[in-house]
Amino acid sequence: MTSNALNYWYPVAMCSGIHAPRDTLLLGEAITLGRDGPSYWVRDASGKFLPTVVRYGHLWTSLGQPNRELFTIPEAEAPDRRLVDCGSVKVKCSPLRAVENFLDIAHFPFVHTDILGAEPHTEVARYDVEIREDVNEVWATRVKFYQPQAAQSADGGITTDYMYRVAAPTVAVLYKTCPPRPGEWDVITLFVQPLNEEWCEVWPWMALYDDTTLHAELVSFQQMIFMQDRSILENQIPRKLPLDPGMEAPTQADMTSIAYRRWLKKIGYTYGAQVVAA
Amino acid sequence: MAVALSADLQHAMSMPCCLDGNDLAIWRGASGQAFVWGDRCPHRGMRLSQGFVRGEKLSCIYHGWQYGSDGGCVSIPAHPDLVPPKSICAKTYQCVEANGLIWTTLIESTDAPPPVHLSTPVRTLHVDSAIGDVAAYFGSPDATLIHLDNPRLITLALHPVNGTSTAIHALTGDPDGRKEVSRWLEIQRANVERAAA
Amino acid sequence: MILYDYILSASCYKVRLMAALVNIPLTLKAVNFHPKKDHKSDSMLALNPAGTLPILVDGEHIMTQSTQILRHLATQADSGWLGTNADAEWFNFADRLNASLGIARLHDILSYDVDIEKGRRDGVTQLRKLEEHLSEMRFDGMAFLTGTRPTIADIACFPNTALAPDGGVSLDAYPTIRLWMRVIRSLPGFIEMPGIHRLHELAPDPVVPV
Repeated sequence: MTSNALNYWYPVAMCSGIHAPRDTLLLGEAITLGRDGPSYWVRDASGKFLPTVVRYGHLWTSLGQPNRELFTIPEAEAPDRRLVDCGSVKVKCSPLRAVENFLDIAHFPFVHTDILGAEPHTEVARYDVEIREDVNEVWATRVKFYQPQAAQSADGGITTDYMYRVAAPTVAVLYKTCPPRPGEWDVITLFVQPLNEEWCEVWPWMALYDDTTLHAELVSFQQMIFMQDRSILENQIPRKLPLDPGMEAPTQADMTSIAYRRWLKKIGYTYGAQVVAA
Repeated sequence: MAVALSADLQHAMSMPCCLDGNDLAIWRGASGQAFVWGDRCPHRGMRLSQGFVRGEKLSCIYHGWQYGSDGGCVSIPAHPDLVPPKSICAKTYQCVEANGLIWTTLIESTDAPPPVHLSTPVRTLHVDSAIGDVAAYFGSPDATLIHLDNPRLITLALHPVNGTSTAIHALTGDPDGRKEVSRWLEIQRANVERAAA
Repeated sequence: MILYDYILSASCYKVRLMAALVNIPLTLKAVNFHPKKDHKSDSMLALNPAGTLPILVDGEHIMTQSTQILRHLATQADSGWLGTNADAEWFNFADRLNASLGIARLHDILSYDVDIEKGRRDGVTQLRKLEEHLSEMRFDGMAFLTGTRPTIADIACFPNTALAPDGGVSLDAYPTIRLWMRVIRSLPGFIEMPGIHRLHELAPDPVVPV
């Protein structure tokens, strides 16, 4: 395992779900986490305390020394947003495959049929992608897609605008059209905990403007979407994400994933990835 | 090697198969023609065996990329006006359908499949045992096609799934014998697996 | 009729699927089974002291056993779905699928603390039995568990079988189960659930809008 992967913050628990000390894995290492009143702790297998941050309803930790603060999502701090914890789901796939799937829209008509997309509305129009050097993140903007039932708060089919952001190697954020508040974005995130290179635990989380949908329905919707993806993720070969071109053939619609793979290679992040030997 | 019973692959359908550790997608077009391909879409590595067949084309269930009978990609739904480059293609293997079985070969071959004289398909069973042990149990240690006449006329076509698992494709001579052969096979499988344990 | 439902529950899906196949509209009330365990909340326990889902409320009638609910829906619609008394063995079988494949799935997805190896082993034993039985039905020209038409026995057994891969149990070795699942997935009114894909082949290639 490359030491590079150690020096990032990773999600390891949903704060409201910690009732007793719990064992889990991070980058193949056994860790234990728990809570003492208002403060949370994480220890590695030798008993050493690891650094922690609590943000966006989740407990984050690192096995190394992150050289940056944990990312922020300013939109999510607005006071009248509904913050929705979705719990976690385990998937037998590379953490990087999970992130890449979250960044993709061309699969909507086939995997999230009649919800996020439907034939014949399969075309993915050109959008913009950049690696933002100042913050070291991948961003896709001016993404649009026609959706039969884009969100619980939508009334029928709409063309949804999207932005995608890779805030860390295993953290993706999507910003989408917010039907009740045109001009604002709904925020949906995927915080991915790499258990090891072939298993991950994903923690979806949302910050929405929606005064009417019941909490349980918001959670159900997100879990439904993720579980539809899970049956794809567990069937991709090879398991590890190929970072070199040649094995997998992308097109224009895959620009975000192409940028993500290029960026991972650039920052030297290869945990859960496959690189052709030099 | 025989990798499936024809009767188990209906029109406009795909199914998975593993031959000696190689993942394959076996599919049949609406016309009836059968194909054996590598079980991997060249786009993002999704198993093609989970895809769907329309006409004579197999589509990947992930992004709907569609492949024609020569394995070449003919349609990418995200870009309806794009003619996909010829370089985007599924890996194809030879496929012969004969005597109620679908045959393929991992390495190019000009040989025809061996003759099989019994024409009633029974079932495919998977056994948790290496092909050599399964064949030896039935009295023909090196064979992949075994002919028995007890309790009925039975032909067993074997293929190695991997080092510890074997698929048996069974045929018999008389449709009335299928249940008896099926039940007999269950007992043989239990015997083989008990010995392997 | 009101169904207290969890989107990822195989047992709740049996009810949603049955209702869709016989065209009975259900009002779905989503319960936050995971992560909040709301099926154990005071208000849910008042409805069902066992603290389980699904719960179907039809007027005064509160039903909490999926087999009982399937029977109730079938009786409202078309009694051909009920099958015969001899089919009772299939409801026991469906319970065993739940206790093996269903539990393996909850382990792999939601980290339930169960004996995963036993769950998978038992699941394979049951899938082999199912494959053998469906093969014999096929020899006699019958595509369903108990005859030439689907019954609640098929619906009871279908979800946990189809979702077996979620729990690490592959369905690759069972061609007859595959054909049975396809026939069920092709029924008019069929609805899918996460982990069970739509049969896109049933729709033709679309004409792309200009």
